[in-house]
Amino acid sequence: MASAHPSVKQEPVEAVDLESRIIELCQQIPKGVTDAAIQNDMPQFTPQQRVMAINRLLSTGQIDLLKSSTGLVYKLKDPSATSKIKGSDNQEKLVYQIIEEQGNKGIWIRDIRFKSNLLLTQVNKILKNLESKKLIKAVKSVAASKKKVYMLYNVEPDRSVTGGAWYSDQDFESEFVEVLNQQCFKFLEQKASKAKETKTDPIAQRNSSYGSSADVWKFISELGISKVQLSVEDIETILETLICDGKVERSIVASAGDAGQTKLYRAVAPLIQPTGLMRMPCGVCPVFDQCYEGGSISPSTCLYMKEWLEY
Amino acid sequence: MIECICSKCYLIFSSSSLVELKTRLPTNTKVLQGTMSTWQVPLCSLLLREYYGEVVSKVGTYLAKKGLTPLRVIAQETSLKLDQVKKSLCTLIQQNIVAFEMNKRGFTEYCADVTRILHRLRFPRYMYSVKTLYGDAAELIIEELLHNGQMTMGRVVDKVTERLNEAMLDNQSVSPSLVKDKFAKLVYTHFIQRCPALVSSTEEATPSMPILAINEEDRFLLPTVEEAEDSSSRKRKRVIEDSSPTQAKRQKISREEKHDSDVHCSIYWCVNFDRFHQYLRDQGLISAVMNKIDKKASEVLRTMLRLSEVRTDFKAAVSAHMSTNEIFQALPKELSLKRQTLEQYLKLLTDDSTDFVSKTGDSGGGMYSINLHRAVKNLCKAHIESVVQERFGSKCFRIFRLLLLKGHLEQKQIEEFAMIPAKEAKEMVYRMFEEHFITLTEVPKTPDHAPSRTYYLFSVNINQVSRMLLEKCFKAMTNLMNRRDHESRENRRLLEKQQRVEAIAASLEQSGADPAQKEEVEQMITPPERAQVAKVKHMTNKMEQSEIQLDETMFIIQTYLQSTHVHDVKLK
Repeated sequence: MASAHPSVKQEPVEAVDLESRIIELCQQIPKGVTDAAIQNDMPQFTPQQRVMAINRLLSTGQIDLLKSSTGLVYKLKDPSATSKIKGSDNQEKLVYQIIEEQGNKGIWIRDIRFKSNLLLTQVNKILKNLESKKLIKAVKSVAASKKKVYMLYNVEPDRSVTGGAWYSDQDFESEFVEVLNQQCFKFLEQKASKAKETKTDPIAQRNSSYGSSADVWKFISELGISKVQLSVEDIETILETLICDGKVERSIVASAGDAGQTKLYRAVAPLIQPTGLMRMPCGVCPVFDQCYEGGSISPSTCLYMKEWLEY
Repeated sequence: MIECICSKCYLIFSSSSLVELKTRLPTNTKVLQGTMSTWQVPLCSLLLREYYGEVVSKVGTYLAKKGLTPLRVIAQETSLKLDQVKKSLCTLIQQNIVAFEMNKRGFTEYCADVTRILHRLRFPRYMYSVKTLYGDAAELIIEELLHNGQMTMGRVVDKVTERLNEAMLDNQSVSPSLVKDKFAKLVYTHFIQRCPALVSSTEEATPSMPILAINEEDRFLLPTVEEAEDSSSRKRKRVIEDSSPTQAKRQKISREEKHDSDVHCSIYWCVNFDRFHQYLRDQGLISAVMNKIDKKASEVLRTMLRLSEVRTDFKAAVSAHMSTNEIFQALPKELSLKRQTLEQYLKLLTDDSTDFVSKTGDSGGGMYSINLHRAVKNLCKAHIESVVQERFGSKCFRIFRLLLLKGHLEQKQIEEFAMIPAKEAKEMVYRMFEEHFITLTEVPKTPDHAPSRTYYLFSVNINQVSRMLLEKCFKAMTNLMNRRDHESRENRRLLEKQQRVEAIAASLEQSGADPAQKEEVEQMITPPERAQVAKVKHMTNKMEQSEIQLDETMFIIQTYLQSTHVHDVKLK
């Protein structure tokens, strides 16, 4: 009897002791404590007691259960983090973990559902909860405007989501791009005309009218028209659009130094004057297909021709 | 819509989405250019009417539409008298528009060549080219030949000398030998050629139809000196200035005079249109290089083209190779280009993105050749891009060029590369798609072609766009000509009055009347009428100028399509 009593009384004390002991162990070994380590330390407890203790610690959010190559390890959780999600239940914690993993790319709601295996309604409720607690935020993706990705509140969204320097608040800044376009072209044009004046040798003329993308980038940064810091790749995309405009040509040369290849750009003149078809009204006429002699729209009665001939 | 529906023509659908119209001719199958063209035939009928009158126009249009037809059928279908049809056919044959062949069943059939009718649009350009190359006399020679179709050398020289002498101030006169020299030069540079002559063999000749044939070597063969001086020998004896040969030859001439006169009279000459087209194409390339690089580079290219002229076939894809040494020796002295500068310009031309010239070897200081096919293609692309820019705007132009450079792209990629907001980009792409400048290819991901799981790729098909633009050009040209007709018809009364007054004034001046009478006549036309006449003249000039400019576009597109056709067929 005397033995039974202390054993009964010892249990709760031992249980609490076990928990605190485990926490101490975790603190001692920050990398993580395996189950075997706890067993070695306190051989007197049964596996069930250990499991109960660990479960209690997990539910109170004081330790983390992680899987490593050797097996399961228990790590002490950061107290600040613990305080944040105290009071939330397991599901919310799970969802929060999933979102945290994604870092600055954010995660789509369907992916959260897949990873957590929760119902859609449940996930929605949890997300609303977390948002109201200001733990996560939703960011609209630039690629698909209906898609919302979730990420932690204090994390900066990645470029692929917001679209980088050309987008401000999900809006494509076309005037900004236009201005940059014109400035880059002006720079290259000036370079070309300077080359024509100073050099007599045609090859030297062409070579000195070339500007590398780094040169253009320096010029634009010095102009200071951009509030956002632009990178060389951004400038290169602008120069690509100038190539599509037919105003600029590119050639790639192998360059010295650490850069493997440099892209050189120069302004070019167009190949021909505007073509003959476009110098008369028929070229731009919107009802060209409906026009025939004797019809209501005909060359003899054409108003565009009349105006053109009076000029 | 395919125009030719006679029993002799049949369609070939080839894999390059080119529908060819072939005609069964006894000698060889001739592919009629301008397949699937709705507006070519109306344009032809307008041109024929302007140049030769209503009757000829009817006959010519009928032949252009129907292909090979015998004489009776033409008369029947056009409801004209047989006599009229015969005369019209004579005119058309004289102008080298209509050719005749022997049908299997033994009667002659006539067919018209549509491209030759369309050459009439380019006559001003031909004359101007010759004027810049060889001077006024040559221009008049070409003009006479173009007006009359086929002529003997003697008659051409006579007429041109007459015209030049009329226009000469003071008492200068131009000798026929000068004109003859120019003629010889034009033959030597292949601008003029011999017409197919009568073959007088006994086996092949049939009683009803003459056979015309020409040997390839004889095409540009000037008759020998004796023969040439023959027909105008009578006139030449009267002319004091004579750069003719020595005494001995003169005696020989008088002896052979009678004998050779027959031979010479039967040599007819006509204009070699292919050569002119080659020249115009070269001009296009030279002016493009001048715009892109600078004047000296265009002179280098001009020299290269001149060197390759005689060695390269008109339809070749790449010109003959020439070495730097050759080019350096052939450069005009005024350029005063040093050897080193020449090499630099050649390097510039080779490296340029328009890809006109390429280096093919290192012997002789560097061997270069001109990529004719690629050059024409790039020129044609430039014209198409110009159309897009003027019609749709700069943003569409950017998207169009993007598709040309990159090939097939999805809608999203277009927005990304062109840096245009999504909504605008969509609108522009669909506008261009509506007007058939861009084509759509569907690439399904799943066998059931569900729209959400298919890739929609946009691309540009140059051949298709070229043909579409050519059609537009034909229609626009028809519109211009119709409008011009309309304007002159509206003001016909006024213009006739003006002409009468001018004639009266001129005759008064010749007969030496006093100024008072002349003034009275001049006052018959009131100032507002005069202003109206000036306005009509201005409008007509503008429209004619526009026709020539429009023809430039047409020429480049036609040259490109011709060149592609030849080289696509070769590749197969």
